[in-house]
Amino acid sequence: MNIRILKDRTARDIMLVLTLLSIVMVADIAIGLYLKSKPVLESESLWTLLFSSEWKPLKGRFGFLPFLMGTVWVTLLSITIALPISLLTAVFLTEYARPIIKKFVFPVLDILAALPSVIYGVWGVLVIVPWISKSVAPHFVDFSTGYTVLAAGIVLSVMVVPLLVSLFIEVFSSVPVELREASLSLGATRWQTALRVVMRKSLAGILASSVLAVSRAMGETIAVLMVCGCVVGLPHGLLDTCYPIPAVIANNYGEMLSIPLYESALMFAALMLFAVVLIFNLVSRVVLYRIEKQNE
Amino acid sequence: MIETKKLNVYIGENHILKDIDLQFPEKQITCIIGPSGCGKSTLLRTLNRLIDSTEGVRLEGQVLVDGTDIISSGAEVTELRRRIGLVSQRPCPLPMSIFDNVAYGCRINRMFKKRRELVYHVRQSLRAVGIMDEIKGRMRSPAARLSIGQQQRLCLARSLAVQPDYILADEATSALDPISSKKVEDLFVSLKGKYSIIMVTHTLRQALRIADNVVFMYLGEIIETGPAAEVFNNPQNELTQKYLSGAFS
Repeated sequence: MNIRILKDRTARDIMLVLTLLSIVMVADIAIGLYLKSKPVLESESLWTLLFSSEWKPLKGRFGFLPFLMGTVWVTLLSITIALPISLLTAVFLTEYARPIIKKFVFPVLDILAALPSVIYGVWGVLVIVPWISKSVAPHFVDFSTGYTVLAAGIVLSVMVVPLLVSLFIEVFSSVPVELREASLSLGATRWQTALRVVMRKSLAGILASSVLAVSRAMGETIAVLMVCGCVVGLPHGLLDTCYPIPAVIANNYGEMLSIPLYESALMFAALMLFAVVLIFNLVSRVVLYRIEKQNE
Repeated sequence: MIETKKLNVYIGENHILKDIDLQFPEKQITCIIGPSGCGKSTLLRTLNRLIDSTEGVRLEGQVLVDGTDIISSGAEVTELRRRIGLVSQRPCPLPMSIFDNVAYGCRINRMFKKRRELVYHVRQSLRAVGIMDEIKGRMRSPAARLSIGQQQRLCLARSLAVQPDYILADEATSALDPISSKKVEDLFVSLKGKYSIIMVTHTLRQALRIADNVVFMYLGEIIETGPAAEVFNNPQNELTQKYLSGAFS
């Protein structure tokens, strides 16, 4: 056999194995998590695990609602803050900014996206937490340490913005110039063109990017753990403490594992996070498919 | 009337258009011809200031639209562009329905207060380009689902809907099949009584068929200009003669 063809086939086979490996790994993680969380699933009903607020490991009661809600609150808040900022920044950079500004801002965004999350956490502890405690909270509550849903949401949004902006810039840049010119030539302003043509054409891309950002926000651990307060309890507002799932796992795994079912409960928390991200991604795939179909 | 006086366009270090002095007669079709890269499209894009979005562009001289210089800093480009419609080389339907494509410009320019008026106007515009019967019952479906020839006529309807005075067409039929091309060409001829049409074309035969006036460009300069019959039958410049005889393209 020709040596070139042999090399080509070998390369293809190696890459196929590597591709399969990544899929197998995901399945392996899911199965592993399920097996590890089986004991707690057998001791409590799924309903109780998901919707009970009672977290008493010593008594063998594991209600994950506070952690689930902590994750939901922090993720929703961070995306609510990050989405408009990122969209407008990306619109400015693709539709308005001069090349020299782009040349300066793009590397800065890359640096921001690459910063280790612990740095964002430290920034949160040193800047955001005291700011909330001294300047924001006094307007609404008697006392707050500043370690709140709001702090976690702000820190997380600042982390997510560079990622979202980079993704949105990619998405907006793929919109053909002719479309923009078609809109401009009808008397539209750049803003009208950005809003009604560029963003509309990019709807699927905006959604896909947002899903990626939400997944990232849901899984973010260190920075959130440092500013969220880590107190078990259902958050009822932005100035309450919270305890999102990744923080629970990171804080407790390896400690207190002598408590019966505790490890299993933490593995169940991980499985929950896994499932939430998976379901969220699957649902958004369906929505994306529909949007693309509409745009065809 | 659109008129250029000593118009020079530079993109970066390149001098693209050189001392262009032209007058585009009203309610007629003026075809700009010339070999690839001679500056035809740049000239067209300068007339509605779409050239502004090109990186490193610099304009000198004057482009007068009904006596107002549109290059001077105070010129309001959005209103200018509404008055000068553009049909580009490839049909470019906006990512919305057929109806919304035509209504887009009207909505942007707040032309109608009542929806009934808007619907009537959109239908009229679609009728004007002879596409209404073909798309009956499909007004709400995405414009991208139309055939490429229908898309180009839709784009023309979209331009007409904002009631422009001038229409710029940049090789508007080059991406179309012969039948669609003929339809669009006939449309331009039928529209010239109402609009002043400036058309860049790469096809000499097309210019011969529809042009009232011809501008021949070469390397960013106007080589010859005049009534179509004169330029085609009795070209004065040697370059024009060579171009028309097919010596270069």
